[in-house]
Amino acid sequence: MAPAFSDADLARRRSAARRLGWLLGAAVLALYLIGLFIKR
Amino acid sequence: MARTPHHSLAGWQSRVYACACRTGRLALAPALLLPTVASAAYSFNFPEPVTPIARETLHIHNEFMLIITILFVVVFAIMIYSMIKHRKSIGHQPAKFVGPTGALQWFWALIPFAILLFIDFVLMGIPAVQAIINMEDTKTKADMVLKVTGMQWKWQYEYPESGLKFISTLSTPRDQIANAEAKGEHYLLEVDKPVVLPVGKKVRILLTSTDVIHTWWVPQFGVKRDAIPGFLRETWVLIEKPGIYRGQCAELCGKDHGFMPVVVHAVPEPEYLAWLEAQKAEAKTAAGGADRTWSKDELVAEGKAVYEKVCAACHQPDGKGLPPAFPALAGSKVVNAPLLDMNGKVIKDSHVDRVLHGKAGTAMQAFSASLSDVELAAVITYERNSFGNQMGDMIQPAQIKSLR
Amino acid sequence: MSTATTHAAEHPAEHYPGGLMRWLTTTNHKDIGTMYLTFSLIMFFVGGLMILAVRAELFQPGLQLMRPEFFNQLIGVHALVMIFAALMPAATGFANWMLPLMIGAPDMALPRLNNWGFWLLPPAAILLTLPFTLALFGIGDGALATGWTFYAPLSVQGGMGVDFAILAVHILGISSIMGSINIIVTIFNMRAPGMTMMKLPLFAWGWLITAFLLIATLPVLAGAVTMLLTDRHFGTHFFDAAGGGDPILFQHLFWFFGHPEVYILLLPVWGLMPHVLSTFSRKPAYGYTAQVYSFIAIGLLSVVVWAHHFFTAGMPIPALVYFMFSTMAISIPLAVLFFCWIATMWKGAMTFETPMLFAVGFIVLFGIAGLTGLILADVAADAQYHHSYFVVAHFHYALFAGGIMGVMTGVYYWLPKWTGHMYSEKLGKLHFWLTVFSFNLTFIPQFFLGLAGMPRRIPDYALQFAEFNAISTLGAFVLGLSQLLFAWNIWCCVRGGPKVESRVWEGAEGLEWELSSPPPHHSWETQPTIK
Repeated sequence: MAPAFSDADLARRRSAARRLGWLLGAAVLALYLIGLFIKR
Repeated sequence: MARTPHHSLAGWQSRVYACACRTGRLALAPALLLPTVASAAYSFNFPEPVTPIARETLHIHNEFMLIITILFVVVFAIMIYSMIKHRKSIGHQPAKFVGPTGALQWFWALIPFAILLFIDFVLMGIPAVQAIINMEDTKTKADMVLKVTGMQWKWQYEYPESGLKFISTLSTPRDQIANAEAKGEHYLLEVDKPVVLPVGKKVRILLTSTDVIHTWWVPQFGVKRDAIPGFLRETWVLIEKPGIYRGQCAELCGKDHGFMPVVVHAVPEPEYLAWLEAQKAEAKTAAGGADRTWSKDELVAEGKAVYEKVCAACHQPDGKGLPPAFPALAGSKVVNAPLLDMNGKVIKDSHVDRVLHGKAGTAMQAFSASLSDVELAAVITYERNSFGNQMGDMIQPAQIKSLR
Repeated sequence: MSTATTHAAEHPAEHYPGGLMRWLTTTNHKDIGTMYLTFSLIMFFVGGLMILAVRAELFQPGLQLMRPEFFNQLIGVHALVMIFAALMPAATGFANWMLPLMIGAPDMALPRLNNWGFWLLPPAAILLTLPFTLALFGIGDGALATGWTFYAPLSVQGGMGVDFAILAVHILGISSIMGSINIIVTIFNMRAPGMTMMKLPLFAWGWLITAFLLIATLPVLAGAVTMLLTDRHFGTHFFDAAGGGDPILFQHLFWFFGHPEVYILLLPVWGLMPHVLSTFSRKPAYGYTAQVYSFIAIGLLSVVVWAHHFFTAGMPIPALVYFMFSTMAISIPLAVLFFCWIATMWKGAMTFETPMLFAVGFIVLFGIAGLTGLILADVAADAQYHHSYFVVAHFHYALFAGGIMGVMTGVYYWLPKWTGHMYSEKLGKLHFWLTVFSFNLTFIPQFFLGLAGMPRRIPDYALQFAEFNAISTLGAFVLGLSQLLFAWNIWCCVRGGPKVESRVWEGAEGLEWELSSPPPHHSWETQPTIK
């Protein structure tokens, strides 16, 4: 049987995951910072 | 352990509204599992409603309980039927379906949701919206206004039309709470000075707070509304039946959250007016006292009474406080310092300043609005000459008046 | 720990540090999952002990055991521990262990982030409970005494326990966000070829929605408590009317997080249910697509209904009506789930092993939570229920019967897969019946207490509430003690027991059952076939 993911495929998937991860992290940070600018 | 015998609670049981039986029957089962205590006072529904709102709320509650009980029974009857009939041990062969197939199955699969939509937005939704509109209608035909101010941990009531204002605090003795003596019938639900309201009049209630959020709640009125510092909230009651109605603060407001009850005496209007006149006369006498010169002994005696009512919950009856949240007054640097500056003005962060204006960000609130000149002068004088503090000085009600 | 030794035995060529360093530095999803689950179990008992002290105080009227300040600390920290340190880590533990196995991935996509996510938890838990210990040494006045909701201005005047809790919530939040990011990118990028989104196991779908909810709402909670911190120490007035702020703003921000949080705790369990039901009914899950769309619908609705948590704070009539109807609308997708669960059982060939018992118990008791939630949404009736014991009972049906019993379902279902051993069915069933009985004994009386007018969060109560409180305390102690059976059963199962096959349960379907029990240290060295 073939291995689940070839090394190249796995590396590609991991870097895609890392990019999306950073993007989500940035979204979280943005939400947090926007919250601090609520004026009252 | 000191406990009141159960028969003293019979009054409560008899007050349980007749409707309780309908929805309560199902729920009785678990209580019956405990035959030894089943003779005690159990109530399975709201207490007897005495305002139109409370009646409407109870009606809605009973109706909804019926609906959800039916839903519960029907849905789980189907499930239990399946659990009995579709078992492997009786040789049932599993089906393979994974969703509705064909128009008829889709129809039967969608029926429950049509019913649920109807229940949500028509059967429950329409009475709910009507109730909201009723509840929020505080202004139409209001006969009088009552202002309720929540404070850690007491309620202040004000009748703006008559200029009457007083504080109502828990009157249950501390010994009962500490289990050192038998508990009274209205343990924790009794106050020194209940608020009095006329029966049959629409009372518009304005709520606010001096410190943290409190919630004014009397179950038999069907009314629960937050008292928020710096904001005014409103609600209304129209009490239909004379009686004594008891409730509690419902929003966690610190140490003595469980010890700030609401007690309302609902009386016929003539009785209410007579009470109002008597209170006004009393207040006038008290206010007159502000202009005369008081002796130190008089102030200390009056101050002790005020202290025990207003201050002792935090600073404790012996003045030792509960540090660090509630500092001691005994030997306090704030108390054992000059009273006023050389021009007779308030020194910043001094004893007088703290009592009049409070300390921001702590439970120490500004008492200048809630206590009278006499009460303020008395309690300050008392604190300076008690718990081992020996300042020997005193402040006159007239001085407080000029410092405001 | 025996899982560890088994892995090591199967992979003699593996190189990783032994002892403590192995657990500190591991990036293996199974190790991290095990740590999450162990941490969760420990904190479950910590939070449980706190509430047993509370229930003991409430056994009779009068103050017997503690001062009101300490009582207030216990109830708030109990809630924070149970929510953030017991339930959420348990769900994350499941995700770590099972997601890669279920979607055919070799590991989580970001293994080092995964390690970080876990190791932030113990310090946060220590921060949360440290003020109790410090108070013993005369430092500060104990943990936060505001309830888990931190309502300003009470939290502004609170002691340093509030600061500790704020810090702890920040760290717990960061940990959860790391976990969520990892789960999202793993599901998006690491599925085996052929595993399309609509072939994804429902457990993965449930967690995917949970992860998005966490990412959308935790920053708001963090923002709210940061504002609280600056109000406390840096002279801002976000929540102080005297400075132009508004205490109710805090409630809006808190519940914008707080309501989705309920679904954050429940969605992983809802995702798990169809797996268990279909396994023990020997019949595929009913309405896969309907369940996926219900998850999405509940996720979307959950972020627009928050104000039903404070109807009594007062708001304009249109707002009241909107929040009431939007809350009631959640009952529709939730009913879809109930329908699908029961339809999955319908005409199956059911057996009732412990996980199935817990699943059925979950459905019935969570049904009570859902139905009482429906009437709580009604503004007029809510004026009576709100802040009373009725609400306490309601959300324990949601979070204990829904959340914790759901987690127990998962533990019994997957424990043989994780350890390679069968747990004791006898003990498991005993644990189930004791839990269900004592849970109801604890919380049914609380419904009636609430209706009779007992406010929540009070250390002492009027005499008319005495009997129900005594029954409730009795139930709580039985409930607490029966959880020792659970821990003991797990302990014995980890240590040994009858060996199980890869497909532990006769009717189990899904990739995770194609790997050996316990699975190899590195899963999916060969490509799985997706049906």
